[in-house]
Amino acid sequence: MKEMLKITLSLVLIFIGAGLIMGVTYKYTSPLRFKAEKREKEEALKQMAPDATDPIVAAGKWTTHGKNFEYYTATASAKPVAYISSTAGKGYSSYIQMLVSVDTDLKIRDVKILGHAETPGLGDQVEEKSFIDQFKGKSLPDIKLIKGETKENIQAISGATISSRAVTNGVKDAVQTLVEKYGAGVKTAAQGVRK
Amino acid sequence: MSDSVNYGTIVKNGIFGENPVFRLALSLCPAVAVTSGVKNGFLMGVAVLFVMTMVNGTVSLLRNYINPKVRIPSYMFIIATWVTVTDQVMAATQRAVYKDMGLYIMLIVAFAIVLSRAEMFASRNKLLPSMVDGAAMGLGFLLALVLLGVFREFLGKGSLWGYPILGQKPLLIMILPTGGFFAMGLMMGWLNWLDRKFFGGTGASSGGH
Repeated sequence: MKEMLKITLSLVLIFIGAGLIMGVTYKYTSPLRFKAEKREKEEALKQMAPDATDPIVAAGKWTTHGKNFEYYTATASAKPVAYISSTAGKGYSSYIQMLVSVDTDLKIRDVKILGHAETPGLGDQVEEKSFIDQFKGKSLPDIKLIKGETKENIQAISGATISSRAVTNGVKDAVQTLVEKYGAGVKTAAQGVRK
Repeated sequence: MSDSVNYGTIVKNGIFGENPVFRLALSLCPAVAVTSGVKNGFLMGVAVLFVMTMVNGTVSLLRNYINPKVRIPSYMFIIATWVTVTDQVMAATQRAVYKDMGLYIMLIVAFAIVLSRAEMFASRNKLLPSMVDGAAMGLGFLLALVLLGVFREFLGKGSLWGYPILGQKPLLIMILPTGGFFAMGLMMGWLNWLDRKFFGGTGASSGGH
């Protein structure tokens, strides 16, 4: 009985000590961490629309793959210059997280991959500039993945078809959403609106 | 064994004699998992080096207070504490590194090599030798990961530390999980061969996981 108490006490003391250390660390590091995370998010958004002079604010939420994403209006002197949306596509071994920005005529301005866990050497090639740059200037009906040479659509990376498709679908979902939210006031994008 | 301590021997032991990966054959899963590139291997090695030094030090300080019957849960908790502290401090201060490493740090809790050194060395030795042992073992682990990383990234991607060198991918399989096992086996065999041929060694002991 006495032995049992001693063992328990020894463990409890270690647990309390360790708990205290972790608690104190958390208290001092978490505000820094949240601030850094917020700043990183703002910087990523800013990169998507460098010409926006006002702070980029969330305009609403939308859902795909059972996850929530936000879309944003980037404005310069209170006039919209670009629309941005966070999005994701289901890849080979992970969800590929992205940001997509479109100009006011709803053509893609830029795509940025925020994070993924695709196969190194194969799937992670979707991060390469040559693949991402294909999206620039495309409007909704052109965002289609093609295996083989294409200029009008998106050319899949050989050996990374699933990851390529994930990015393409994620971008397409985001542009679709942005067209639905902002398309009414934009004539040039009428062709891209699906009713 | 703690009266006269030869630090040189401890360091040499950690890097060569009982290299965690190639000689003790411990913590092979992370060694295969993160060595698809030199950078990942190096960063993981640094994190392990820090955690092992701190864990060994703590265990050594508490060695007379930890009840032997519950030493394993005690060690586990000490390891978990240091890993959590490392994770939180890095997340708050080293954002760029944390972006690459964040996924791996929490895994250190389950590394056999950390627990094994706490039990084999730190629980029987004074503070300083224990910390030196932790650092030496961590360094041995780091070097092993870098070696595997160089081998795999060069053959698999034709690059080193992310910078392209060959401009092509000679053996893509090397950076896939399968290639990790190939690289590990080849490296271990090659080092054993070197050891036998030139140093009269007996090769690696049988390992854990």
